[in-house]
Amino acid sequence: MWLVLCETHDAAAAWAHASLRAHGLAPLELLSAEQLALSEFQEHRLEGARTTLRFRTEGGLQVDGQRLRGVVNRLWTVPTGHWRQASAADQGYVQQELFAFFLSWLHALPCPVLNRPTPQGLCGQWRQESEWAWLARQAGLPVAPYRQTSRDTVDESRGERRLVPAGALVQTAIVVGGRVVGAAVPPAIAAGCVRLSELARTALLGVDLVEGAGEGWRFAGASPTPDLRLGGEPLVDALMHELRHFERAAA
Amino acid sequence: MILLCGIPSESPLALVGEALDSISAPYLWFNQRQFARSDMAFDIDERGITGWLEIDGQGVPLESVTGVYSRLMDHAKLPELRGEAADSPARKHCDALHDTLMRWTEISPARVVNRVAPMGSNSSKPYQAQLICQHGFEVPASLITTDPREVLAFRDQYGKIIYKSISGVRSIVQAFDDADLGRLASLRWCPTQFQQYVAGTDVRVHVVDDEVYATRIESEAVDYRYAKRQVGESAKLTAMELDDDVAERCVALTRGLGLVFSGIDLKFAPDGRVYCFEVNPCPGFSYFELNSGQPIALAVARHLAMAD
Repeated sequence: MWLVLCETHDAAAAWAHASLRAHGLAPLELLSAEQLALSEFQEHRLEGARTTLRFRTEGGLQVDGQRLRGVVNRLWTVPTGHWRQASAADQGYVQQELFAFFLSWLHALPCPVLNRPTPQGLCGQWRQESEWAWLARQAGLPVAPYRQTSRDTVDESRGERRLVPAGALVQTAIVVGGRVVGAAVPPAIAAGCVRLSELARTALLGVDLVEGAGEGWRFAGASPTPDLRLGGEPLVDALMHELRHFERAAA
Repeated sequence: MILLCGIPSESPLALVGEALDSISAPYLWFNQRQFARSDMAFDIDERGITGWLEIDGQGVPLESVTGVYSRLMDHAKLPELRGEAADSPARKHCDALHDTLMRWTEISPARVVNRVAPMGSNSSKPYQAQLICQHGFEVPASLITTDPREVLAFRDQYGKIIYKSISGVRSIVQAFDDADLGRLASLRWCPTQFQQYVAGTDVRVHVVDDEVYATRIESEAVDYRYAKRQVGESAKLTAMELDDDVAERCVALTRGLGLVFSGIDLKFAPDGRVYCFEVNPCPGFSYFELNSGQPIALAVARHLAMAD
């Protein structure tokens, strides 16, 4: 069995699920974070280097981590709606517990997982814009100067970003296992995107770019949960390749 | 220049400050409580990472900061912000200052003890246990489940078991006994972690780069940190020497987690096996230093003062 794990309203994940199915990946299930958190049975064991995962959803789907063949992982948050009657402190505690639980079992899966979890993000490491800017420079991508001060008026909570000029059209190249799909970018930029994916240890990475008049392409940000629909058929092909790679290697 | 970040009266920070004095290494306090008199900026461009830090009207180029020891507390809880509205200028400045500092320390070429991202492994004990296992330590068998029957079978298999949080929150180890049976039905609301009880001698190992300080802990408590509460008597701490092999594994584990400074909780079982329970990435080492006399703060100070 293959899985696509996502938030409830993740349209890009639903598209990926439908597209992968249409390409013959079966059995393939789409599971939301809510379905996982509300599973009627969950069990994760560590015995020496051996780890196991078993869960059964309310809909009766049984999952055995050892038998999974591949996972597209777009889990971002862990829902705690079923704890809404509890105190805020208890809800916070449960959220930390479930995050820690999900992080461990996702890490333990022996099959390909795009993306592998990290403590800074269940579907890949979430990074500040400053860290992405620094990594992108090391990857050889052109990056506008980044400046941050304790007197800034930039409000990232409102979507304001330091690397994206106001009104600029952002295009997204998506790296999947070393291939670049999505925005049609020059080879040097594509190579920089691949290097960034490697430096960030994020196999599936959306790289935002802006093309300025006379300035060429510039790095504008990155995310482990890009809108997969922007990658179209080439992205589905790349995902198929990565998800089946494990079986080819084992054969 | 070395930067000490946090509240200067906090024991580990104060000890490192004293140790830096003892080796005449220059340092500067970033006192969180004085955020109103501090400012900071940094740039990332073709020159690399540059910037300045201003405290009480005195500016320091960030390029001159070669070492950082950070024990920042949650700045939202600073007494100076008590009563401040969420959007007050003071709170906004405090937020922006801490955000600027934390972002800079994540990418700064300075020796940072420790950066935030690598500290994250401690937020999930079973996740960290999988990383620990890769460094040759035994880890106790663990079960995380929503099913009471699995817990009972696990207890049958291992005899004595304990339960503790999966995350780093409310992290107190408790023995599981018959009095807990009535609460097992609540498991379905949240998966809970149970673990094989391992008898033996508790040892806390502090690793600073490649220096290793081991402290033997003698206590009857299940969780020695809460010995007074659990058994009415504080734990006894004594310095000890580790075998080279175990010491090397502690250093490799610390590095493998991306840390420079760690507090590793080991247990030496009667059968000779060495279990590792946890790696604390921000160890409150003063409790161990003040009770065992081991010069941990000095090791941190020497590491910070060493130029790359």
